[in-house]
Amino acid sequence: MTRRRIKSRLLSNYLHDPPAVAGSLIILIFVAGSLAAPLIAPENPYDLEKLTLDHFLTPPVWMDGGTMPYVLGTDDQGRDIFSTIVYGCRTSLIVGFGVVLIAGTFGVLVGLLAGYYGGWLDSLTMRLADTFFSFSTTLMAFLLLGIFRQGGILVVIIAICMADWVRYARTMRGSVLEVKQEAYIMAAKATGAGDFRLLLKHLLPNALPPIFVVVAVDLAVVIMLEATLSFLGVGVPITEPSLGMMIAIGKNYIYAGMWWMIVFPGATLVLLVVGINLFADWLREELNPKIERRA
Amino acid sequence: MVGIPRKLLTSVLCAGLILCLWGPAQAQTSLVVAVDSAPRMMNPHGDDSDAGLSFMANFFDGLLQRKGPEGELLPALAERWEHPDEFTWKFYLRKGVTFHNGNPFTSEDVKFTFERLSDPEVSEFINTGKTIESIECPDDHTVIIKTKTHIPWFANNMHQIFIMDKESTEARDPGEVMVRPIGTGAYKLVEWVKGSYVTMEANEDYWEGAPQIKKVDVRPITESSTRFAALASGQVDIVTGVPVELFDKVEKNPKLEVSRRPARRSIFLAMGNKEGSPLADVRVRKAIYMAINEDEIMEKVMRGHAFPAAQIPDPPTIGYRKDLKRLPFDPEQAKKLLEEAGYPQGFEVTLTGPNDRYVQDKQIVEAVAKYLAKVGIKAKLDVKPKSIFFPEVAEGKLEFYLIGWFDGTFDMGRTYSKLGHTRDEEEGYGGLNGANYSDPDIDALLESTFDMVDVDEREKALQELNRMAMVDKIVWIPLHYQEDLYAVQKDKGISFTPRPDQWMVYKEITRQ
Amino acid sequence: MGTYIARRLVQGIIVLLAVSMICFFIFRYTGDPVVTMAGLYATQQEREEVRRMLGLDKPMIEQYGLFLWNALHGNFGKSYVTRVPALGLILERFPATFELAFTAVLIAFCTGVGLGILVSIKPYALQNRIIMAASLGGISIPTFLIGILLIMVFSVFLGWLPPFGRGETVQVGFWRTGLLTWSGLKHLLLPALTLALYQLAVILRLTRAGMREVLAEEYIKTAWSKGLYPFSVIFKHALRNAMIPVVTISGLQFGEIIAFSIVTETIFQWPGMGNLLLTSIYETDQPVIVTYIMIAAVIIITMNTLVDILYAIINPKIRYD
Repeated sequence: MTRRRIKSRLLSNYLHDPPAVAGSLIILIFVAGSLAAPLIAPENPYDLEKLTLDHFLTPPVWMDGGTMPYVLGTDDQGRDIFSTIVYGCRTSLIVGFGVVLIAGTFGVLVGLLAGYYGGWLDSLTMRLADTFFSFSTTLMAFLLLGIFRQGGILVVIIAICMADWVRYARTMRGSVLEVKQEAYIMAAKATGAGDFRLLLKHLLPNALPPIFVVVAVDLAVVIMLEATLSFLGVGVPITEPSLGMMIAIGKNYIYAGMWWMIVFPGATLVLLVVGINLFADWLREELNPKIERRA
Repeated sequence: MVGIPRKLLTSVLCAGLILCLWGPAQAQTSLVVAVDSAPRMMNPHGDDSDAGLSFMANFFDGLLQRKGPEGELLPALAERWEHPDEFTWKFYLRKGVTFHNGNPFTSEDVKFTFERLSDPEVSEFINTGKTIESIECPDDHTVIIKTKTHIPWFANNMHQIFIMDKESTEARDPGEVMVRPIGTGAYKLVEWVKGSYVTMEANEDYWEGAPQIKKVDVRPITESSTRFAALASGQVDIVTGVPVELFDKVEKNPKLEVSRRPARRSIFLAMGNKEGSPLADVRVRKAIYMAINEDEIMEKVMRGHAFPAAQIPDPPTIGYRKDLKRLPFDPEQAKKLLEEAGYPQGFEVTLTGPNDRYVQDKQIVEAVAKYLAKVGIKAKLDVKPKSIFFPEVAEGKLEFYLIGWFDGTFDMGRTYSKLGHTRDEEEGYGGLNGANYSDPDIDALLESTFDMVDVDEREKALQELNRMAMVDKIVWIPLHYQEDLYAVQKDKGISFTPRPDQWMVYKEITRQ
Repeated sequence: MGTYIARRLVQGIIVLLAVSMICFFIFRYTGDPVVTMAGLYATQQEREEVRRMLGLDKPMIEQYGLFLWNALHGNFGKSYVTRVPALGLILERFPATFELAFTAVLIAFCTGVGLGILVSIKPYALQNRIIMAASLGGISIPTFLIGILLIMVFSVFLGWLPPFGRGETVQVGFWRTGLLTWSGLKHLLLPALTLALYQLAVILRLTRAGMREVLAEEYIKTAWSKGLYPFSVIFKHALRNAMIPVVTISGLQFGEIIAFSIVTETIFQWPGMGNLLLTSIYETDQPVIVTYIMIAAVIIITMNTLVDILYAIINPKIRYD
C-alpha cells in the first residue's frame, strides 16, 4: 500500500465512524472555545477589578433566584460558573497539550535513540522507564507536586512531564525495534546513509504511528490528572481557573443543595475526556493491524 | 479471608452483634462527638494547638482551670496561689488527688512537669519552660516557681500546662507515653484508633466528683461537609465547627439545635513597613483599611457568622479598649489617600494567607484582593497550607498577610511581643512578626509594661499601646472575630455550653 | 528463575536507594518543621535548639548517611507532628488501605474480566454495546468525581450508605478489620466501588481487545469447527491466551491503585495510609512522607516481581534466564 492509499482509507474509515467524528468534534469545540474564551465568557472570573460578591451563590437561570447573565449560576466568590468553566477548560487543555508536547518530544527522542543504538543506553533508559512506569504517572506527579507545592501551571506541567515521558519512550522504542528490521531501513543503511539522516528521515516517520494512539490516550489521562491534582489542592494555584478546583469548592456545598457548583464543571470535564477517548479508540483500532475490521 | 478459621469468624461476628445490641442500653450516659481536628498525640506538652489541648484537658488537669462563658481562672490541682514578688509564684496543691494509675499527686509531679516543658524532644511549650529559673518543693503539697524575668501572665497560662505523673512517665517507653495518657483528669483513655476515633471513660475517683457522662466517643472528622453528614444522619450527638455554608440547613433541621458564641480569635491583616515600600506610609495603610468592605465579608463570606473587630484582642483580654472603632468603608477616600501618598496608580503587593487554618480563610483573602483591585492596588494572591505559611511568618518572609490570633493567657502584652515588636532574636521578640513591622514607639511602650507589677497601671499602659497601634500607626488591619458554631441533637437531653477557647471538656456536659 | 529473581532484587534495592536519596534531598530544601515543633511562642533561639535536636544543622551528606543507617535498622525517624516512629504510624494504617485496595481490585478484576468476555462473544448485541459505552464512561470519569457522585446519590440523596469512615472494626490479632461487621461492610462499599470503577473499565477493555484478537486466530476457528462446547472454547482455549496482556497490565496498575487510593481515602475520610499521606503533605511531616514513599516503592517492586512470575506460569513460552 502506498502512503496516499493508506491516507485515503483512513479518511473514509473515519467518516464512516460516527463515534470518532463525534469525539473529534467535541475536541474541536473545546479547543475553539478555549481559544475564544474572552469572547464567549460573559466575564473573566479571575479579573479582580471587575469581580464582586454582589451575585454570589446564584442558582442557574432557570431556577428560582437565577438571573442573567449567570446562565449556570455563580460560586461562593461570585464567579460566573459558565465563564469559569470556559476558562477552566483552557487550563485543562494548556496542561494537556503542554504535557503531550513536552513529554512526547522528549520521550520519543529517548525511545528513538534507545531503540536504534541499543546497548547500555537502551538498558539504562528502559530500566529507568520500567521503574517510572510501575510507580505510575499519577503517583509520581502527586508526590512531586506534594513536594514542590503550588507554583503555577508551568510547575504542574513540568511535574506531570517528569513522570509521563516514559509512556512515549517505551512505545517509541518498541516501534523502532520493529521498524529497524524492515527491508528499506536495511537498504538505507547499506547505501551508507548517516545515522542522523537514517534516524530522522526513515526511522522517525515510520515508527511514529503507534505514538499517535499514546498521544490521544495520554491527553485524556493528563487532563483528568490535572483535575485530580487541583481537586486535592496540589495542582494549579487558586489564582488560576481549573475544573478540578471548581469541583473541590462545590464539594463543600453538596449538602447545602447547591449542586450546580459541582455538576456543571464535572459534566464538562467528563464530556471533554469522553471526546478524546472516543477519538483515541478509533485511532487505536485503525492502527492495530491485528484486528479485523468489520466490513 | 484465607487463614482465619471459620470458628473464630463466627465468634467474632457474634461478638460484633452483641456489641451492637448492647449499645443503646447505655445511651443515657454516653456521648458521641464529631470534632474538627484529630489529636496528634496523647502527650499533653507536645502540641500547643487548641485542637490538641482540647483532648488533653479531659485526661489531664492543670494547676488551674478555666470555666464558664468568659473563661474565668479557677483552682484545679492547686487550691490557691500567691504571687509574693515579681518573680515568684507559689502554688498550694490539692490533697488526696490520684493519677489514673493510682499514684498520688504530689509537688514532685509538678516539678517534673515544668522541667519537661523545656525538652524539645517532647514539648512545644519550650518558651514557657525556658522562662523558669527554679522550682522548689518545700513539702509534698507546695510548689514555689521562680521565673527568670517578670512574666505578668504566668498564672494565666496554668490552665494549659497539664501535670503528668513523674513515676510512670519516666518508667514507660517514650513511645508509649506519646499514645497512652496517664493524668488526673476526669476521663481515662479507652482506645485511640488513629484516623478513626478516641474513646474515653469516666474517672470515677475524680477529685471534682465523677463526671455525669460515663463514656465519650470522639470522632475527628476534618472535612466540614462530612462532619455535617455525620450529624444529619444522627450518627453523632454534638458537632463542633459547623461549616458556615451549612449553618442555615442545620438551623432549619427540627432535630438539631445550634449553639453559637463569639470566638476569641480575631482575624486581621498584617503588613510590613520597610522603608521605601508603599506600606511604610500610614496613609497607604489607612487606604487599604478603608478599601475593604468588611460588612460584605461578614455577610457573604462568613455568612453572618462573624463580629466586626476594631482591634486584635477580644473583650476579656487585658488591653482591650471599648472605644476603638473601625475606619469606615470608603473606597473614594481610600483612592484620595493613595493619591496623597503618591500612588495614584496604586502599586503591586503580594497578599499571603493560609487555606486550612481559619474559617473561610482562603475566601477572605480572595475577597480582600478584590476590594484592593477596585482602588488600584494589585494584590498577588499567595495562598498555602498552614504548615508552609507559619514557617514563613516565623522567618519574617512576608509582605502582607492574613492571620488570626487569640491569646490563651488573656494578655495583650504577650500577643504584641510576638506579633508587633521589632524582631529581636536575642530577646526573643517579634518571633511571629511575619512582615518585619518595626516601630520604635510601639516597642518602647510595650517594653515599659514588662516591669509593671501594678495590675491597673499595666492595663492602662496596654490600652494606650492598643490605641496607638490601631489608630496612629495602623500596625494591623483588624477584620472580624469569628463565631464558633456547634450543633447538638435536640431530643437527647444534652446540655452543652461552648467554651471561649473552643475546648471540648466533657465533664462540663450533662445529659438527662 | 532463581537468577532472575536475584537480579530483580538487586534492581529493587538500587531503585529504593535512588528513591530515598531523591526524597531526602528534596525535602531538606522544602519546608521547615522547626517552627511548628518549637511551639508558636518560641523565640528564635529556642527554634535553633529544636533544629539541633533534629540534627537539621548537620551537613546534608551526614544527615543522609544517618538516615540510611537508621532506615537499614527499620528506623525511619519520628514524625514531626506526632513524635512517634513514622513506620509504625503508617503500618498501623495498612490494614485499612489493604482491605480497600484488595476489595477494589477484586471487584475490578472479576467484573472486568467477566464483562470483557461477555462483550467479546457477541460484540454487536445491544446490551454489549451499552456495556462498552459505559466502559468508555468508566475511563473518562476521574476517580475523585466518581467518589463525589456516589456520595451525592447514595448518601445525600438516597441516604442508603454512609459517606465516610470505616464503621465498626474488629481487632483480629494485629489486624484491625472492617470486613467482619455489617457496618464495616456498608462503609466499605462506596469507597471500594470508587476505587474499582476506573480499573474495572480498563480491564474490561483489555479483556475484550485480547479476546477479539484471540478469537480471530486459526486455532480457535479450528476448535469451533471441531464442534467443541462454547464454554470449553472460550475458557480453555481463548481466555488463557487473552489473559496475558490483561495480567501484565493489571500488574503494572498497582502504582495506579496506590495513587488513587490516596484520592479515594481523602474523599471518604478512610483512615488508611493514603489519607495519612495527604495530611502529612499538608502538614509537611517529612519523615512520614519519605517512609510512605519507601513503603509504596517496596510494595510496587514486590508486586511487579510477583506478576512477572505469574506471567511465566500462565505463558510457558516465556523464560527468564
